[in-house]
Amino acid sequence: MRHLITPLLRHSLMPVIVVAQIALACAIICNTLFLLQQRLTPVLTPDGVSDPSHIIVAWQVAAKGSPWQTPRLLEVESALRSIPGVSATSVSGSVPMETLVQMNGNVLVDGSSSVNKANVAVYVGNHLLETLGLQLIAGRAFNLDEQAVRHQGAGIDDDGTTVITQALANRLFPKGDALGKVIRIGDAPDAARRIVVGIVRHLMRNALGQDNRENIDYSMLFPGLPGNWPLPVFTVRTLPAADLEQVRNAVKIVIERELGQEMVQGIAHYDTYQELRDAALAGPKAAAYLLTAVSIVVLIITLAGIFGMTTHWILQRTHQIGVRRALGARRIDIFRWLLIENALVVSAGVVLGMMMAFSINLWLMHHYELSRLPVAYLPFGVVILILLSQLAVLWPAIRATRISPALATRSV
Amino acid sequence: MQLEMLWYYLVLAYRRCLKNVAMVLLLTLTMAIGLASCMTTLTIFSALSGSPLPGISDRLYVTTMDARTQTDSDDSAYKKPDSYLSFDDAKAIVNAHRAKAQTALAQSTEQLIDPDSRRSSMASGQLAYGKALEMLGITLLYGRDWNEEEERARTPLVVIDSTMATKLFGIENVVGRPIRLGKRLFRIIGVYAPWKPRIKFLDLPHNEGTTLEDYQRFFVPAQAALDNGVGPTTLTECGKENALVTYQSTAVGPCRWMELWTQLDNVTDIANYERFIANYAESQHDRGRFVYPPQAKIFGTRAWADVNHVVPNDIYLNLMLSGAFLLLCMVNVAGLLSALFLRRRADASIRRAIGAARWQLFGQYLVEAVLIGTLGGILALPLIWLGLTIVRMQPVAYANAAHFNPIAFVSLAILSLVVSVVVGILPAWHICRIPPALQIKQQ
Repeated sequence: MRHLITPLLRHSLMPVIVVAQIALACAIICNTLFLLQQRLTPVLTPDGVSDPSHIIVAWQVAAKGSPWQTPRLLEVESALRSIPGVSATSVSGSVPMETLVQMNGNVLVDGSSSVNKANVAVYVGNHLLETLGLQLIAGRAFNLDEQAVRHQGAGIDDDGTTVITQALANRLFPKGDALGKVIRIGDAPDAARRIVVGIVRHLMRNALGQDNRENIDYSMLFPGLPGNWPLPVFTVRTLPAADLEQVRNAVKIVIERELGQEMVQGIAHYDTYQELRDAALAGPKAAAYLLTAVSIVVLIITLAGIFGMTTHWILQRTHQIGVRRALGARRIDIFRWLLIENALVVSAGVVLGMMMAFSINLWLMHHYELSRLPVAYLPFGVVILILLSQLAVLWPAIRATRISPALATRSV
Repeated sequence: MQLEMLWYYLVLAYRRCLKNVAMVLLLTLTMAIGLASCMTTLTIFSALSGSPLPGISDRLYVTTMDARTQTDSDDSAYKKPDSYLSFDDAKAIVNAHRAKAQTALAQSTEQLIDPDSRRSSMASGQLAYGKALEMLGITLLYGRDWNEEEERARTPLVVIDSTMATKLFGIENVVGRPIRLGKRLFRIIGVYAPWKPRIKFLDLPHNEGTTLEDYQRFFVPAQAALDNGVGPTTLTECGKENALVTYQSTAVGPCRWMELWTQLDNVTDIANYERFIANYAESQHDRGRFVYPPQAKIFGTRAWADVNHVVPNDIYLNLMLSGAFLLLCMVNVAGLLSALFLRRRADASIRRAIGAARWQLFGQYLVEAVLIGTLGGILALPLIWLGLTIVRMQPVAYANAAHFNPIAFVSLAILSLVVSVVVGILPAWHICRIPPALQIKQQ
């Protein structure tokens, strides 16, 4: 080991620069990969909605002045259902991917301590299950009695029934016995009580924060409609054979006929759910592309740097290598020596880089509400960087083995 | 003499570059990418920070207080300064005339229609109580602003910008003509030059996530507007029994919806005004109208932008990322330059042996580093242009702010010079420390 380290310390400029470079690259890449994973969470997680291009969503249908009353909105819902080619329709407070209006509650199991609260997105609407095509894996949909409920407020303070996602069920009831249990929305003594009557496989939340890796699939459905709600969302599912554009136009005509006079002009949208989804995820996707590009460029620059520096460093030591060869070192010894030397330098850089990555992450957590960098990232980053840097010195090292001892000791 | 040497060093550096094109390409490209990423984020950052209205907004302050008139058991804490006041409170404070200029403002989005209903345009504007145009530094092209009597008499008047005038009437000077707004005709009494703050600062809490402001096409006295069916874009904070949010509603009743902006020129004015506001709020609290301790406070436009996160966190993250990236590129270039220089140890020691001083050698190598840095800076120009074009295509709130400007060009020049000097110091210093005799002997 000593014969490896001593020469490094004697001519320390190049190794120091390589260490600094690896450390910086490591710190940057760990943090960008972490950000990348967070940005990709909503893109890669299933939202639970099936056949997204057969759903028309009328959103940003805003009431001018005082909000429409629930019976009025339900009339519009039935008017939409009578459009030819429509298989299901629902008016609701919001839908996934519609980020303009959100309803969220902190949910806990009845009788448990408030430490176990989970932040959950609430979708209030009678027929969301069939309109969005959610997959019910246990329990039942809302029955007619439940659908007849009239909420005074938004519905979040009212008792009743609920359908929750599997992820939320597993979080609140790890034993898998969620059906029939009572959950509460908030920890106040008079907080609403909801009986779980059904579980769906997936339903994505629409209020996204910096980091949703844990709670992206925490959602629940309430029957009824939020009262005094200024921005109802109308969702219409078409039959597979129906002409989408015809249905889209019909939806627009019906809504403008029914509500046109009382609508804020010029802002309503009639998109397919797929279009809505694409628009909502455009931001995270763009950020993900950017972060991927940054990581790749950082890697390329680092590797090109290591390659360039090692090449020159080895050339500079042609004489030394020649002497080693003349004293009996075999080619494989030279090759191994250079690779081990590089591995040593890179490892030092990686260790330093990890420490930097963690301190940067701590600082970011403090200032920008980021979450903690998981330790699981470290071995991954270490292995990738060491392997790639070994690849980068492969060619210079092979060239070094070709140095002829006689020539090297004579000419340089 | 000095200049001659400099020229000679430049020629030498150029010749050396030609001898090792691959290495120089790698060096300049690395430098260019680092500079370009840093400059792209810096350009965007500088576009989104600073004064919304240079020369004017730094003297503007928004009044905040906990003016809730109903207790709220779910949400009793006053977590964030609240800038929305009821119309009555706003009027009372403006009418007290405790500052040079004061205006209560609220965002409105309305359709403006010419009297014959032939042309119409949806536009963003402001409902105002007080002398808005004067306070915001808006240039009147024709006509005048409204006065207090007209405001009190609830006369339906409006001031529009020249773009709107041209759009609806085909000419700019439309003073005296009527225009349809809400339920009736308003008389145009003034036309101003199109006005848009650099970044958004009005009505921020209602527009979370918005960074850039739109052109404000009209200003209308708030009371006259409400009388005739023109309300604020969004109306919140109307009390528990009412809807959480309503749009374009004129039923403002007890709602808190107006922001009060005040022009304060110096420290004494600020202190006096703050005292006045605190007294006003306390007296309302004592009378039992404000149910919570009001905690009245004023904020300048920049502080207010910070409180409301007008510059998104992503901007800061990208700025740090690109800074770290530039640092990486600099370390890389420093390493490669060292390698490049050290291979020419022989030249250096010969120059030393025949009488060159250390600092002369140092200068020579630094010139070479600066040459490479300058090449990198030139190469960075198209890359910055590309970067800003990419940002403009992104689905982000600040996309339209990504434009190349002369300041960015100058900063790029300075940055590349500084960076190349910093990067060149270590290798140049390292090589001129070589003892001449030993080096020659070793050869």
